[in-house]
Amino acid sequence: MSEIALEVQDLTRTYGAGDNAVTALAGVDLAFRRGTFTAVMGPSGSGKSTFLSCAAGLDRPTGGRVLVGGTDVTDWDEERRTRLRRERIGFVFQGFHLLPYLSAAQNVALPSRLAGRRVDRERVRYLLERVGLADRAHHLPGSLSGGQQQRVAIARALLTSPDVLLADEPTGALDSTTARQVLGMLRGSVADLGQTVVMVTHDPVAASYAGEVVFLVDGRVAGRMAHPTAGAVAGQLAHLDELVSA
Amino acid sequence: MSGLAVRSLRHRPRAAVATFLAVLLGTLLIGSFATLAESSGGAPAPDDGTLIILGAVVGGWGALIVLFSVASTVAITTTQRATEIGLLRTIGATPRQARRLIARETGAIALTAAVAGALAASVTGRLLFELIRSGGLVSDRTEYDAGPASVAGAAVLVLVVSALAAAVAARKATRGPAGMLVRESAGEHGRMRWWRVAVALLLIGYGLAMAVITVAVTADSDDPYAAMSTSGSSSILVGVGLAVLAPVLLRWAAGPVRLLAGTSATAHLASYNTARRAHLLAGVLAPVVVLTAAAAGTLMLVDIDRRSLPAGTPDSDTITLLNNVVVGMISLFAAIMVVNAFVATVAHRREELHRLRLLGATPRQVRGSVVAEAGLVAVIGVVLGLVAAATTVVPFAVARDEGLVPDGGLWLVPAVAAAVVALTLGAARGAVRSAARVTV
Repeated sequence: MSEIALEVQDLTRTYGAGDNAVTALAGVDLAFRRGTFTAVMGPSGSGKSTFLSCAAGLDRPTGGRVLVGGTDVTDWDEERRTRLRRERIGFVFQGFHLLPYLSAAQNVALPSRLAGRRVDRERVRYLLERVGLADRAHHLPGSLSGGQQQRVAIARALLTSPDVLLADEPTGALDSTTARQVLGMLRGSVADLGQTVVMVTHDPVAASYAGEVVFLVDGRVAGRMAHPTAGAVAGQLAHLDELVSA
Repeated sequence: MSGLAVRSLRHRPRAAVATFLAVLLGTLLIGSFATLAESSGGAPAPDDGTLIILGAVVGGWGALIVLFSVASTVAITTTQRATEIGLLRTIGATPRQARRLIARETGAIALTAAVAGALAASVTGRLLFELIRSGGLVSDRTEYDAGPASVAGAAVLVLVVSALAAAVAARKATRGPAGMLVRESAGEHGRMRWWRVAVALLLIGYGLAMAVITVAVTADSDDPYAAMSTSGSSSILVGVGLAVLAPVLLRWAAGPVRLLAGTSATAHLASYNTARRAHLLAGVLAPVVVLTAAAAGTLMLVDIDRRSLPAGTPDSDTITLLNNVVVGMISLFAAIMVVNAFVATVAHRREELHRLRLLGATPRQVRGSVVAEAGLVAVIGVVLGLVAAATTVVPFAVARDEGLVPDGGLWLVPAVAAAVVALTLGAARGAVRSAARVTV
């Protein structure tokens, strides 16, 4: 098994053509080792979301390569990329994205269902217990709080032990207390389960839970910071333009 | 508020089209028959009686179905907006303002559609009259003589029902504190209100009573059509009654199906969506039940009549023609409602279907789950519809001395069932395909 969970090489993505062309990613090289927790930060329009979409196979890059667990998936067709998302990538979204008519346990088990595999009830129960919702297994999302819904989403993302868990502003819709719980759980999955987590965020506090922060500006990697603290990240964000000119 | 209503409508063309079509066709159908009733005024006997029966009785059954469909379409499109209404209220709209927004939107669409429907009805009413006269139901001396009163009356009736339906749905959507509503409008939406259950039981009870009267009283009448006049409407009455109870029936019926789902992801998703969001899919189940009940009930009624009466009765041809016109119009209307309801329901679920794609469902699985739901709804609807149809067919067969099971025409049952299932699946496939163009 490859040491690198997710890697992008010279990733570019341009929208539109001619004079109206907008470059969202202008040659990004990043590699995420297994069992690491990385935050990708940057101002609006820096290419964070495009990076995530390309890495997950939701969007096709204009140029460059995407490797998941050492396999080049750039040229895979829609069918294969769907299977890739289902089996080797876990997703946590800002808006939770639970299915409203499935209970918490059924939502967690959904990736297995979609893959047509037997549901490992033991693992579903274990994951719900990990996120502290063992007693809510049969509740529908409508009767759970935002923090609880996001915890269900994390359990769902961990179900298949994916190569990489991609989190898109996972705490964007949560208050600071529940946000801390959710971030703690993401970090716990890295420390306890050896999960690889890549999280896009613009919140310095959220980024401080990661082992490393990567700064994107104008579709390029503008800097990195190991062992980030909220204060250091906030300071760096305030001076991103200097990183670019440097 | 009016400006907001207009902009909100532009943003939601599909839901607007659904309401528009329901009101337009509803006014057209009721209006056409109303012109017959109005024309009866100057007609010589016995034509005046024939026209009254056609206009009032036939139009009456039709009106029941139409009004029910209009109400359920308006309810679907309003219920789907619970989240948006919650958002409006969080940013400071009072429940009253939110209700007014819904009322104005529905009002604007319904008014346009009703006017268009009334204009069209004054043309189709004339055509219907010509059809009846050329069929020999009324003599050549009788002239079409309907002014704007009947079609306008039909338009007002449909408008009042739309307004009431919008008011009920809006009240439901604005109950409770605003914050609660921003959450995804999901899960089991409460229980059925008592009056809804009461209306349903009343309709079913009335239909069953007519069935009993057919067997016990009118079967022995000298007039061969007495039994038809009492049993004919039972299937439609019971069908509409069952349709009113659709959310509960759907929830009950979806349970056993789950046991058959096995490991198939599409069947799993479909069965849970059907059970837990029965209030949404009920809007599709209702027209399926009514369509099956009206088509199977009336077609078999006509078939028994044709077989058991000696040929050449002067009335028989015209009554057969009339029954077929009724079946045709009601079936066409119900078929459009099935398609309509599916488009409205699936359009609302676009975001959710996209979510499934993000989680790794193949486009096939997403489409499959919606089509499987449609299959479930179709099967449940056909079964309920056939039960309703039996309340017309069995008493009439007994009255015409054929026994509990008619002597022939049983092929009509699988034929109607197959047609309804095909229509429902086709509607779902079309709806999900158009939703898929954007997301899947």
